[in-house]
Amino acid sequence: MATRLEPNVQFIREMQAAGGESLKKCYQCATCSVVCPLSPEEAPFPRKEMVWAQWGLKDKLVNDIDIWLCHNCGECSDNCPRGAKPADLLAALRNMAYKSLARPAIVGEWMSSAKYLPILFAIPAVIFLIVWAVSTGLKIPEGTIIFAKVFPTLAAIDPIFILTVLFVVFTFAASIGKMFSSFKESGLTPKEDAPGFLMSLIGVVKDEIINHRKFKECESNKDRYPGHLLVFYGFVALAIVTGIVAFFYWTDKLFGFGMTTPLALWNPVKILANAGGIALIVGLVYLTRSRLNADPKKSVNSYYDWYLIGVIWFVVVTGFLAQIFRLADAAAPAYIVYYLHLVSVFMLFAYLPWSKLAHLVYRTVALAYARQIGRKGLSE
Amino acid sequence: MSNNSILVIGGGFSGLTAALEAAEVGHEVFIVEKMPYLGGRVAQLKHYFPKLCPPSCGLEINFQRIKNNPRVKYFTLAEVVGVSGGPGNYEVKIRIKPRYVNNNCTACDKCVEVCPVERNSDFDFNVGKTKAIYRPHLMSFPMRYVIDDQVCEGTSCAKCVEACEYQAIDLEEKEKEITLNVGSLLVATGWVPYDVEKLTNLGGGQIPNVITNMQLERLAAPAGPTDGKIQRPSDGAEPKRIAFVQCAGSRDQNHLDYCSYICCMASLKHCTYIREQYPDAEVVIYYIDLRAPGRYEKFLNNIQQDEKVLMVKGKVAKIEEEPGSGDVIVTAEDIMGGLKVEERFNLVVLATGMQPSIAVEDLALDVAKDDQGFIIGGEEKGVFAVGCAKMPLDVMTSAETATGAALKAIQTVRR
Repeated sequence: MATRLEPNVQFIREMQAAGGESLKKCYQCATCSVVCPLSPEEAPFPRKEMVWAQWGLKDKLVNDIDIWLCHNCGECSDNCPRGAKPADLLAALRNMAYKSLARPAIVGEWMSSAKYLPILFAIPAVIFLIVWAVSTGLKIPEGTIIFAKVFPTLAAIDPIFILTVLFVVFTFAASIGKMFSSFKESGLTPKEDAPGFLMSLIGVVKDEIINHRKFKECESNKDRYPGHLLVFYGFVALAIVTGIVAFFYWTDKLFGFGMTTPLALWNPVKILANAGGIALIVGLVYLTRSRLNADPKKSVNSYYDWYLIGVIWFVVVTGFLAQIFRLADAAAPAYIVYYLHLVSVFMLFAYLPWSKLAHLVYRTVALAYARQIGRKGLSE
Repeated sequence: MSNNSILVIGGGFSGLTAALEAAEVGHEVFIVEKMPYLGGRVAQLKHYFPKLCPPSCGLEINFQRIKNNPRVKYFTLAEVVGVSGGPGNYEVKIRIKPRYVNNNCTACDKCVEVCPVERNSDFDFNVGKTKAIYRPHLMSFPMRYVIDDQVCEGTSCAKCVEACEYQAIDLEEKEKEITLNVGSLLVATGWVPYDVEKLTNLGGGQIPNVITNMQLERLAAPAGPTDGKIQRPSDGAEPKRIAFVQCAGSRDQNHLDYCSYICCMASLKHCTYIREQYPDAEVVIYYIDLRAPGRYEKFLNNIQQDEKVLMVKGKVAKIEEEPGSGDVIVTAEDIMGGLKVEERFNLVVLATGMQPSIAVEDLALDVAKDDQGFIIGGEEKGVFAVGCAKMPLDVMTSAETATGAALKAIQTVRR
């Protein structure tokens, strides 16, 4: 029986532009599906994605859960006899998902190319410049360096970032809904005896994320395991610090006990913050090095890769420099660098659903769903 | 005045054919062969295409033609070490390694009986052994024994010298160098099987029951190390389930970035070897594309009629040994079925491809090669590539290129 295929040529070009430039080199040998340690027994990936991509089968690809099961270790691309770079194709499909899943779509457009970087930078730059203008008239305040003098917590930082977080949460809520319906559309429904979504989610966090198990199964890119692990736990540490600081800010405000920033260097919370920052730097060195050293015949880095690495570097470097200038009592550089730090943090979080960092939500959700439908690697 | 002689580097099927074509129209021809025998890869096969003849058929007639033609001179254990001059007037330096066995040899085998040293047989791709003094193979030409001086204990042993009734052995023989003047050169240096040690994900050289297609030829050859019985190297058991892994190193930019042309047909031919010995053995051929050039398609169709030969589209990318049993676990995606499966076999054959010999061991001759080591130039210099030095070919087509190149060489020397 003949099946009629409707190749979407525009979609092929989009995939090539988003990082899957070599997809046409594939000759369907299926080496990739075999060497992938995460690829399941039934309908393994990424060989089928390669042929779908060559045929421009957009419907298949945009509903494909497997692009999220891939952890981009690069084993497939390393062993590919043709240099077709399946890992890059799956990364490109994820980049396209970041762009298309979340609304408003214009942010996705801005996040897809370096030429829009000035806009992305300008938004927080202007916001925090206005804050500065209102607080001190763009002047460097006298006396002890306290960043809240220029960027008051209650009047500026909290409202701005709480709104940002709400914006991101609602954006994700909508796009996760879309993701679920796309999985269902491709015929994947949870088994009758499957655990609930929440149980699956807890399972994913417990068995996979905490220990980074799947990163360890890969031979090809050994630096990614420590790199990703350190960056992940660096962020976890900094999130805990932010939570504690916010909590005690309010206890101080409301009940008169707690702590106010800046914290002393020996304060356990400050120690945790600096440890997290150092973990981030070490992890970033690993990840940046492996990207820089990548063999162009095996993998090509996309703008999405560099945006995320770049912004995290921006956050970490401005964070540490602000602290150093503050401790050195160099007021002007300290306030200016702290201003840049706020810009970088905004760039990391406000655009998160359209950046590569969105994988922390999409992949986690997909992994939990994969548990419900019983999709796991052949060797798992 | 142009020199009328032609030098043929390599005495395999291509080189022999080219040499005879030129000699039989009156040219003096020299064959320089690195191995101790003529006949090259064909001599190692059980059967060869197109008619699945044993190598004796085809090589034998060529050897007769050489014997009967005074214009063909050949040197075994010989290598070109230097080439100077130009078309019509080349001076070629040849180094000839000592054979330690002279023309008196009658192949009586007495020396082998007394020789205390064993070596792995390179002719058998290490699935068999010979003594340090050995007959290159059953129908080797010249029919003279040879000593492997890498392992021979030399004059301190000399048991073979005592045993030889014909004073055919001279352990003191030295390497020598000769100079030939020729008008044209034919490069028929042929191919080597791709080094399986580089195929680490396929257990190349690591797992005993994973062998190469050329090793299977030796196992199946009647005069081979197992007298023609196909058996597992680890325990000599009869294999009941056998897998063929096509494109083992071919069509792969990490290994040989081209199709080796012969491996599909070789594996299909091997199915006939297996079926002849084991009527019930199951065979699975894992392939990317089954390539049966031209009329060979009929052969493919015949093998496809065999219900116990299964052809699975999907390249094997992982091979592991099952501990204890010696069996081999092969992982491939069956593309048509959309399943990634692990299958267990008693014996796995890697259909390794052909790599031009001169890509592995360079030739002392300045001639243009492509990035894979195949010769792509030389015509302007009166140097012509023949057979698998030029591209991957089967025996029949190699012989055709040899005839063509012989004509080119004749045109060069007659100019």
